Amino acid sequence: MEVHHSTAFRPPVDPTVYASLVSNRYLTSRLIPVIAVAAVALCVALVITVVSVMSGFLDMLKASGRSIVGDVIVSSGIGGMPYTEELLAELRALPEVAGATPLIDTIGLLRMPYPAGPQKETAHVQVWAVDPASLAGVTDFADDLYWRAPKDAAAADAMAPDDPRRALDPTILEDGKRLLQSSTNTPGIALGMHVSVGNARQRDGSYLPRYGWFMPGLEVTLTVVPVSGKGKIAEPREQIFPVVNEVQTGLFEVDRNRVYIPLQEGQRLLRLDEAPLYDLTADPDASGNYPVIGRTPARVTKLLLRAKPGCSADALRDRVQATYDAFADRIEADRSRTASMPRFLQVLTWEQQLRDLIVPVEKEREMMRVLFSLIYLVCAGLILSIFWAIVVEKTRDIGILRSVGASRTGVMWIFLRYGLIIGTLGSALGVLLAWAIVTNVNPIHEAIGSDAPLAIRVTAWCLASACAVGLCVTALRRKFLPTLLWTLGTIVLSAAALGLTLHHGTLIWDPSIYYFTLVPDKVDWWAAGTTAVGGVLFSVIGSAIPAAKAADIDPVEALRYG
Amino acid sequence: MADLPLLDARDVHKTYRFGALGVEVLRGVNLAVRSGEWLAILGSSGSGKSTLMHLLGGLDRPDAGQGEIHFRGEPISLQPGSALDRYRNRDIGFVFQFYHLLPELNVLENTLLPALVFGARSEGRTAVRQDAEALLGAFGLGHRLTHRPSQLSGGERQRVAIARALINRPAVLLADEPTGNLDAATGAGILDLLAERHKQGLTIVMVTHDHEVAARATRQIRLLNGMTDRSIAT
Repeated sequence: MEVHHSTAFRPPVDPTVYASLVSNRYLTSRLIPVIAVAAVALCVALVITVVSVMSGFLDMLKASGRSIVGDVIVSSGIGGMPYTEELLAELRALPEVAGATPLIDTIGLLRMPYPAGPQKETAHVQVWAVDPASLAGVTDFADDLYWRAPKDAAAADAMAPDDPRRALDPTILEDGKRLLQSSTNTPGIALGMHVSVGNARQRDGSYLPRYGWFMPGLEVTLTVVPVSGKGKIAEPREQIFPVVNEVQTGLFEVDRNRVYIPLQEGQRLLRLDEAPLYDLTADPDASGNYPVIGRTPARVTKLLLRAKPGCSADALRDRVQATYDAFADRIEADRSRTASMPRFLQVLTWEQQLRDLIVPVEKEREMMRVLFSLIYLVCAGLILSIFWAIVVEKTRDIGILRSVGASRTGVMWIFLRYGLIIGTLGSALGVLLAWAIVTNVNPIHEAIGSDAPLAIRVTAWCLASACAVGLCVTALRRKFLPTLLWTLGTIVLSAAALGLTLHHGTLIWDPSIYYFTLVPDKVDWWAAGTTAVGGVLFSVIGSAIPAAKAADIDPVEALRYG
Repeated sequence: MADLPLLDARDVHKTYRFGALGVEVLRGVNLAVRSGEWLAILGSSGSGKSTLMHLLGGLDRPDAGQGEIHFRGEPISLQPGSALDRYRNRDIGFVFQFYHLLPELNVLENTLLPALVFGARSEGRTAVRQDAEALLGAFGLGHRLTHRPSQLSGGERQRVAIARALINRPAVLLADEPTGNLDAATGAGILDLLAERHKQGLTIVMVTHDHEVAARATRQIRLLNGMTDRSIAT
């Protein structure tokens, strides 16, 4: 149709200008969009906060896990690997390797020095027989030794008055690093921080000896069971060790179970040390000994390796596997060797090794993300219902807009734009709120864990009283809505004031459960971004249905009955 | 072409359906509106006046195959919705009995609304804003530009509605009982305003049930039982 343009005097352009004007006015002239923005902001903030804390926890767990086992772990059977000094020399020469250390991993029983009297408690433990010097180059073993003298006076002042570390001698740390009691030149043992029940963790993450059982300097008896390469159990062997220090890795399972002894002691106790090789087919000599035909090499059951910066754990694992295979081939081809390298062994990255620990937390985080994302549906439903009510209320406006030439698409865009603005504003505020909460989570947690300050309690009671006065005034005026609102305010504020008065601190993030002193306080920006986009998307989806309804409204009906 | 009606309704039927029940509101209306005339359509309540107005203004369509509305000789009822949107925006100006202003917009914004729908930006918007201010000034509302409709009297609201209807300089003004909600003196003022615009060449189609109001028009027709009653056409 050739329509006569009686308005040809003006340049035609942007048809969305009126939609912007109308939707902006709908936004700014009423309270309900503020409620919708607040709802979206709370949903977004909740998801970001939960996922950020979970991600931070996972990152801390991973960082802690890697600091315990290095990047790559080579594990043989219980019979161990021979010639590991030669193998380690080759591995240390690799350009990808920053450090490598041997160890024996077994289980044992530890008789504790407590309680007083002849009956002592016994704990089952994981025994790591280690070379402490090279272990410190692969893991954070040296840094994880808990008992150490304060570096300086300022560090001492920062400790609690009854903290035993204030009075410690610097030798305790050196003894721990060497697993040697220097005063007696006796091989020592380092216990995981929670192997002994004598260590009571405080809220600030420090430890106080419980019932006076300060472990360093006390003696424990370790019993292990040697197992032959054929799997036969020999007579259990035991040794008394002085406790030289205790180790806090941050992983509860490790700190509760693991003890560290020197490698040579472990090899000797488990009969994995170097020993003469007898010819049992020959006749014994006069004293009943068989002739010695060589020596069996000492063995270890694990090698831990640390990658150089820039080399991934996966790349190092592949390189170590190839090096080990070539080494094993050479040993097998060498007729002079009295032992062969085990062919069935595991070469794993630290993530593979600790997957039992990491994967559940990862799954838990994803589950939380999915569960909390269901809040989006609530958000979309809320916006849908608010917008539906607005469309019904604004039916006549829609008729007016259609009468002046607004298209159905234009009318729809008014409400979609409305939803888009609410979603964008709500998401932006939600990200800000989450940032404020997450970055201040520890002070907030600290505040929750402490008694409410007197000023806050008094303020809460004053506000509750003010609401009660408002309630009385409006009740006398017989106004229902103000009376209801003042009643709700009085109830909520009275409950808050009562709660603050009775509250004596709630510890949510208990370090004795999570084993990290601080709550993770880094915002997961990837999660924040995706959550914010989700908030906008679901707001638009929530507004799309009322927007489509608005577009379908018959303008004649709207003008006549709207 | 000189005799071509500006608006031409030919044998227009309109039936509203309420479930199985059909109410035939218009039963073959024929009507020609010539450029520059002021036509009053008289009729009692329920005679189909407003329905005819909606059809003429492209807000609604006649029953399928039951008549046609032409604008400048072109059929509009068969056009797609987007063409009807443009038609309502650029060629028609509506004035309603109950003003129908958007309560959230002020006087100036309400007046500008059709121009914004048309799409006026930058220098175009400045020009149209000046037009709107001039119109409102001419209607005695120059001091009310930023007021909301709720702050205006009935007569002022109707003047804003007329300014809105005229802002895009339409070919035809369709007024549905423009004085129906006003007292006699205010209504007379509104009719004076329409008369002034008519003198300047504006084509007006006005629906009313009031003979005195209709008398201000240059021509009258009556709708009776959904049909034009030619006996009173003047």
